[in-house]
Amino acid sequence: MFIVSLGLRALHRNPYRSILTSLGIVIGVLSVIVLVSIGLGAKALVLQSIQNLGPNLLIVIPGSVTDSGAQVGGGTDTTLTQEDAQAIRHDCPDVWNASGALRTAAQVQSSHANWSTVILGAEPNYLPVRDWHLARGGFFGAEEEAASARVAVLGHLVASRLFGLEDPLGKFIQINHSPFRVIGILSSKGQSPMGMNQDDMVVIPLSTLQSQIMGVTYVGVILAAAQSPDRVGDARREIRDLLLLRHHIPAGGHPDFDIQALSDIAKTANRLSLILTLLLALIASISLIVGGIGILNIMLVSVRERTREIGIRMAIGARPRDILLQFLTESAALSFFGGIAGGILGVLSILALRSFLGWPAPIPWEDSLITVAGATLLGVLFGLYPAWRASRLDPMEALRYE
Amino acid sequence: MQEDVRPGLSVRLDAVTKIYNVAGDELPAIRGVTLSFDRGEALALVGSSGSGKSTLLHLSGLLDRPTTGAVFYENSRVDSLSPSDRAILRNRSVGFVFQNFQLIPRTTALENVEMPLLYRGVPPRERRERARELLLSVGMGDRERHYSSQLSGGQQQRVAIARALVASPGLLLADEPTGNLDSRSAVSVLDLLMKAQERTRMTLVLVTHDAEVARFASRTVRVRDGLLEKS
Repeated sequence: MFIVSLGLRALHRNPYRSILTSLGIVIGVLSVIVLVSIGLGAKALVLQSIQNLGPNLLIVIPGSVTDSGAQVGGGTDTTLTQEDAQAIRHDCPDVWNASGALRTAAQVQSSHANWSTVILGAEPNYLPVRDWHLARGGFFGAEEEAASARVAVLGHLVASRLFGLEDPLGKFIQINHSPFRVIGILSSKGQSPMGMNQDDMVVIPLSTLQSQIMGVTYVGVILAAAQSPDRVGDARREIRDLLLLRHHIPAGGHPDFDIQALSDIAKTANRLSLILTLLLALIASISLIVGGIGILNIMLVSVRERTREIGIRMAIGARPRDILLQFLTESAALSFFGGIAGGILGVLSILALRSFLGWPAPIPWEDSLITVAGATLLGVLFGLYPAWRASRLDPMEALRYE
Repeated sequence: MQEDVRPGLSVRLDAVTKIYNVAGDELPAIRGVTLSFDRGEALALVGSSGSGKSTLLHLSGLLDRPTTGAVFYENSRVDSLSPSDRAILRNRSVGFVFQNFQLIPRTTALENVEMPLLYRGVPPRERRERARELLLSVGMGDRERHYSSQLSGGQQQRVAIARALVASPGLLLADEPTGNLDSRSAVSVLDLLMKAQERTRMTLVLVTHDAEVARFASRTVRVRDGLLEKS
């Protein structure tokens, strides 16, 4: 116990060197904690925006077109139809609601502005499936859908771009030079997890988009909402069986569609952000190790510089293990206090990050403790060799050392 | 802790040699010496520089090990002990006083004197009291907070003597204790050593090249070229 206080006293005698030596550990611990926090923040952000999409949503996309043996990419085929969507709606007991949808890009004009945006063709029940809401006005129903009526519901951004402060309800816009009556405005939803602005779109009846703008009969995607999040699995199986039957896919054949659950996407995103966090922590750990090497270096210098002191201590009765313990205490204390300082600075940096950048970075208390403990262990490990060298000095030679 | 009067330690060097290996050359420092220090005697080892007298002192104090031969304390062999056991023996039984004082830098006089007790595991309060007592007895009671760099040579050597005596050793080894001191400090330091020896009846070995210093001792042994000179 007395030996431990000896080590601490030696650090106290040389405060500047002690601070500079532990700076490497301070920065290492600081960066581990901050980067882990940033990684966790990114993960929370991604999961939150996926959660916003609805945890019981299933997305049916067509399979990929195989062009001369080369796959062109998922969702490029044209095998899904509005009838498929209808069948899913009616024949799958665990599906609460479903809607086909198709999108294209087009130029949209009001009387005094124009705007290039996404035209989304949707069935009347698209709104409840996505859990979207109207800010004002109404949405189209079965009659407009059946009649391929030229009515449009504007996204929040499109409404303000085309009409500014004017009230768009009842006014007309032109899509591909055809007039559409504005009947509703969606409430603002912000970015989608894929980085699309969900307010930058015009929603029109699916049949209108198919027949009057694109001249096609397929749908790009069918969105289905399960009765509840825990029935997503059942709903998915039902949709799969139904579509296999409807598309005449033989047993064991390759389906011409794909069903994705948001929970799958969440899982993937989760895994990706875990990898990101680990990668960040790894990079930060390297700076921690560099800090440890700094301690190794200084301790070696210190042992050499204090060779005569070691000789004196041995002459008056210090055993090799007393010397070992003294130097080990020094390096452990350097890295421990460095780690504590780095931890405190790390938490402060995270708080600053939160208040200035608004990044939802959590304070990783548990990881911080592990990091500080790891840094201390690192100090002990890197201090072991210099301390061992000190303890192995020959007392007579050490006394004569100049 | 009382200044316990322990009978001095008897030491025997039995046919010891010491050969240093310097850059591949073998340099014999001691060529075969058999020598005993009797309990409680004050002995002077004299000889010119390079004669091997200091090496004999280091071998007696277990700071160094003979190349051949053996060292006995009270008839038990000690040179073959492990480094750790030799450290314990040095701590318990041997006090050193060096020519260049060998105080630990950036450490106060009091801390220096406490050091041997610290390695013996004496609790802080007792350690401190005992160290103060010793500093007082060498006339340095008012300098306990001074660092070695703030003390004169004579003062440093007094602190070093206090440190050598603090653990009540049976054997006090002084290697040219007055070599770096002016004549007035030298006399008072020698006086201090002799008085301590008389008081505690420990065995004192004084290495010197100075006949004046050797006169303080009751017996003188001359060393020349690594061998004892018959007197």
